[in-house]
Amino acid sequence: MPVDRRRIRGPDESHSPYHFVSKESLKSLASGDRRSDDSQRGPLDLRPIFARCGLISQAKGSAYIEAGNTKIICSVYGPREADRRDETDMKSGRLVADMRFAPFACHKRGAWVQGNEEKDMSQGLLESLRPGVCLHKYPRSQIDVCVMVLESDGPALSHAVTCASLALADAGIEMYDLVLGCTVRHTGTTQLLDPTLAEVQDDEDGGFVENQGSVTVSLMPNMNQVSGLQSDGVMEQESLKAAVQACIEGCYKLYPVIQQTLLKTVRKKAPPSES
Amino acid sequence: MSPMKLCVPGERLCSTEDCIPGTGTYLRHGYIFASLAGYVLRKNEGEELPVISVVKETETQLLPDVGAIVTCKVTSINPRFAKVHILYVGSTPLKDRFRGTIRKEDVRATEKDKVETYKCFRPGDIVLAKVISLGDVQSNYLLTTAENELGVVVAHSEAALILSGAQMVPVSWCEMQCPRTHAKEFRKVARVQPEYLQA
Repeated sequence: MPVDRRRIRGPDESHSPYHFVSKESLKSLASGDRRSDDSQRGPLDLRPIFARCGLISQAKGSAYIEAGNTKIICSVYGPREADRRDETDMKSGRLVADMRFAPFACHKRGAWVQGNEEKDMSQGLLESLRPGVCLHKYPRSQIDVCVMVLESDGPALSHAVTCASLALADAGIEMYDLVLGCTVRHTGTTQLLDPTLAEVQDDEDGGFVENQGSVTVSLMPNMNQVSGLQSDGVMEQESLKAAVQACIEGCYKLYPVIQQTLLKTVRKKAPPSES
Repeated sequence: MSPMKLCVPGERLCSTEDCIPGTGTYLRHGYIFASLAGYVLRKNEGEELPVISVVKETETQLLPDVGAIVTCKVTSINPRFAKVHILYVGSTPLKDRFRGTIRKEDVRATEKDKVETYKCFRPGDIVLAKVISLGDVQSNYLLTTAENELGVVVAHSEAALILSGAQMVPVSWCEMQCPRTHAKEFRKVARVQPEYLQA
């Protein structure tokens, strides 16, 4: 077999560079009420939210949300003619939700193409948003909701739902109510509302613990109806119920901030003249 | 002017005993809720109860509805029908084009079977039409021009392709003339009301 003597070859065995990345020392979550991001919030407090609407001029409506390090942007197009003719419904419109992570969003570089997890999250987003939109007012049309996660620090789905509702309201799509999302991470006996990535990963790295999981709830606050419920992990029934309750309360705490954002956006545009 | 009240979707405005729901609102459990984020307007229409509606500054979704007058552009013609892109609904432009069809028998009210689409429309014409149906699953919006006020409004002559000619002037209900070459072409012309013509 001819051997190539002109090139300097690397070692025969190679390892992924991620093995050599040193993990930051785990902070014990069980001690006291300090959250991993060193903020002053307690276990049942949300991260402060920054939200703005109307930043993408080409889209009908758009919204940007920041919660801690999580940054999510959403744009809404529509109502427009439905893409797939055979699924056009004469009586109501269609909502199409698409959720993507930017390749630079997580610690490990992702791809621009939608992966399986993203498809799952898109489906979850669609299920949460659909009960909130008055689709019967848009027959034969399609409304596109495109969510892109620019940086992900903790479960992104709940903030994506909130961002998408803001964008839908900014686009002037008629809705029954805003849909807000919230996540709770449950480990053993501690519950953490709106967990950061470090809190989720520390749990997973800490080995198998009884009664561990995450719950994401999408809630319509004025109608007091839950439109989406997802859970991950193995939890006892009582813990699951308590987690869902904590999520619902978190959504109610979130509502005034989102309401103020929308009112600010409406106020920026001049009031209509008295006709 | 007193500051107007703002609202977000899902906010409860009032009960059905006080007002009648208008656009941008919905009824639930005997109360009126807002379905848009915008300003709350109360209008006294002359009936017993005022009408409450929510308006957003920008013209929101305006879908072509049955009976609406739409402005469209012809994209292709066929002995049986003409395909158009709907650009405006009433006087509001659409952000996304919708597709429509004008069937041969809907072009004019008289002598429907003797219509030749080639003599009524050409690709690139701007046409005023009325929506007669949303169509079924497979087809587009169905439009009609079978009225005096409906039909071709703006058209360019065939010479326009070579000479970049001006738009044609209507001569009768079925003919238009190019001001440069004085050639007459057949179109189904709309009789535009005098008040809409800009002098």
